[in-house]
Amino acid sequence: MFATIFIAYSFTFLLLKFMPLDAVEFIISQYIAGSAATYQDPAVINELRQSLYELFGLKGTLLEQYITFLKRLFTFDFGPSILAFPTPVMELIKRALPWTIGLLSFTTLVSWIIGNLLGVITTYIEVERGSRVAKILQGIALTLRPTPYYIMALVLILLFVYFIPIFPLPGAGGMLTPEFSFENIISIIRRFTLPALSIIIITAFGWNYISSRTLALNIISEDYFIYAELRGLPDSVVLKRYVLRNILISQITFLALQLGTIFSGALLVETIFALPGLGTIIYRAINTGDINTALGVLSLSMIAVSLATFVIDLVYPIIDPRVRFR
Amino acid sequence: MIFLNLIRNTKFRVGFILLVIIVILGSFSVYSPPYYKQWYRLPIDQPPRLSADLQYILGTTSNGRSVFYILVNAIKNSFIIGLFTALIASHIGLLAGLVAGFRGGVVDKTIMLLADVIIVIPALPLYILLAMFLRKVLTIYTIGLIVSVTSWAWPTRQVRALTMSLIEREFVITAKLSGMSSMKIIVSEIFPYILGWHLANFTNTVLYAIGSESSLAVLGLSILHEDTLGTMIYWALQYGALYRGLVWWVVPPVIVIILIFTSLYLISLGISEYINPRLRSR
Repeated sequence: MFATIFIAYSFTFLLLKFMPLDAVEFIISQYIAGSAATYQDPAVINELRQSLYELFGLKGTLLEQYITFLKRLFTFDFGPSILAFPTPVMELIKRALPWTIGLLSFTTLVSWIIGNLLGVITTYIEVERGSRVAKILQGIALTLRPTPYYIMALVLILLFVYFIPIFPLPGAGGMLTPEFSFENIISIIRRFTLPALSIIIITAFGWNYISSRTLALNIISEDYFIYAELRGLPDSVVLKRYVLRNILISQITFLALQLGTIFSGALLVETIFALPGLGTIIYRAINTGDINTALGVLSLSMIAVSLATFVIDLVYPIIDPRVRFR
Repeated sequence: MIFLNLIRNTKFRVGFILLVIIVILGSFSVYSPPYYKQWYRLPIDQPPRLSADLQYILGTTSNGRSVFYILVNAIKNSFIIGLFTALIASHIGLLAGLVAGFRGGVVDKTIMLLADVIIVIPALPLYILLAMFLRKVLTIYTIGLIVSVTSWAWPTRQVRALTMSLIEREFVITAKLSGMSSMKIIVSEIFPYILGWHLANFTNTVLYAIGSESSLAVLGLSILHEDTLGTMIYWALQYGALYRGLVWWVVPPVIVIILIFTSLYLISLGISEYINPRLRSR
């Protein structure tokens, strides 16, 4: 697993090495052109150039370059940003991170719970009582499964901002600040409802619903399940102890696989809704040609997601008694 | 014959019909007038509007281009990206999977390590980095190459697993003992079994590539001077179509993307249900 992170980072390093344009001069010329009206201290620009050379691994031999590059990663030192010069990239990330983590963890958890419970319960009812709810939900889920988050975001904006104006336009209301006042919290909730919904709808129905339904159908045809039914155990016990427990265990692995996709999706959703977060930083970095910031945010997020996946893998044996390490 | 069997599957049928409709729509791009792209030649003093005029049947953008022609060309270009990526990535996956499964040992371990790494790394940040660095040379085909960097990993895993289970079967062992060369065993004994999965992977990769291109485009990292479904959304958002209420500019690409994705997904589901009957009736 550490091999993964190592390879991911080496890959980024190689990518930077074989870049087809001289990024450092490109960044500096862009910065100077962008602030032509104000006087720039040559010393500051030289400093910027030095740190960029170091960051892009252009100093010393190949091995030295590689080591400095690794060092920069472990000290979270990505140099100054261009889009908000001279704020360090790390400072920008620090400001944005709570929003992204909040949105990401909330939506992932909620959609995991809703999707799995709904999948299990509707399938159980369908098999036991022959209701058609599960069939209809399955049809909807099949359409939602391949739909990307940002498309869902656009659909929700069209529906709930344009046709039925309940929510504010994306970006309306200015900057959000992490303050704990009543009005501020209300405005945060208003701004975050649609983005959260667009992630939850797709993840809950598209992914978790479909897979938990498939798993539930498998369990229902197992012998131990039929035995439990024949013993006359009440529905709630069968559902909780026999179906749900087994499904939740396998769905945790699925959660690990989803993380990367949800993260990428959340970045785009943030961009579309103009929320303060990593997605918006990346968007601004791309539009100003700020490779420095983009590199910091992206390599950090690649590593963070790989680590989170790794952690879920570690936690798995604690929850599942069948695969405990001996 | 296989197709007749496939078309009996409801999911495949629905997906196939949707796909045919979209392809027909996309084929109107042949009739697009040469000036549709050159917005500077169009009258810009007119506000964006919806009209009954056949040329402007879906309205015009804020610089006077016909949304209909943009849409049909976007469909064409997005499909080119998807097919190009699928041609590269799914075949790399097929080859790597076959080699890994057949050879085993160090070759297998190396290929699988790479594939696993690529599966774990979130793809979009990687694409963004690649697209940022290749921005100067971005064409429809380089976008395809960028997306191929990661989309070979899943097919590889799947083909490897299939190959490994196949080489244990009796007919392959018989072939081996009767002196068939490895190449011939792969081509004539293993390949027919993998073909169906390969087709499903191919469809999935087309879907994935179109989606990834539009994700990049939403961030402004695609080929912005060409019309793809993604760049169509990007320009609509850039010109504030949502704020100005130019719904006819945003809705068509959104609907078409949803339709394309649903149809390709249903087709690949239909194919996998056809090959693996255990998945049926669910």
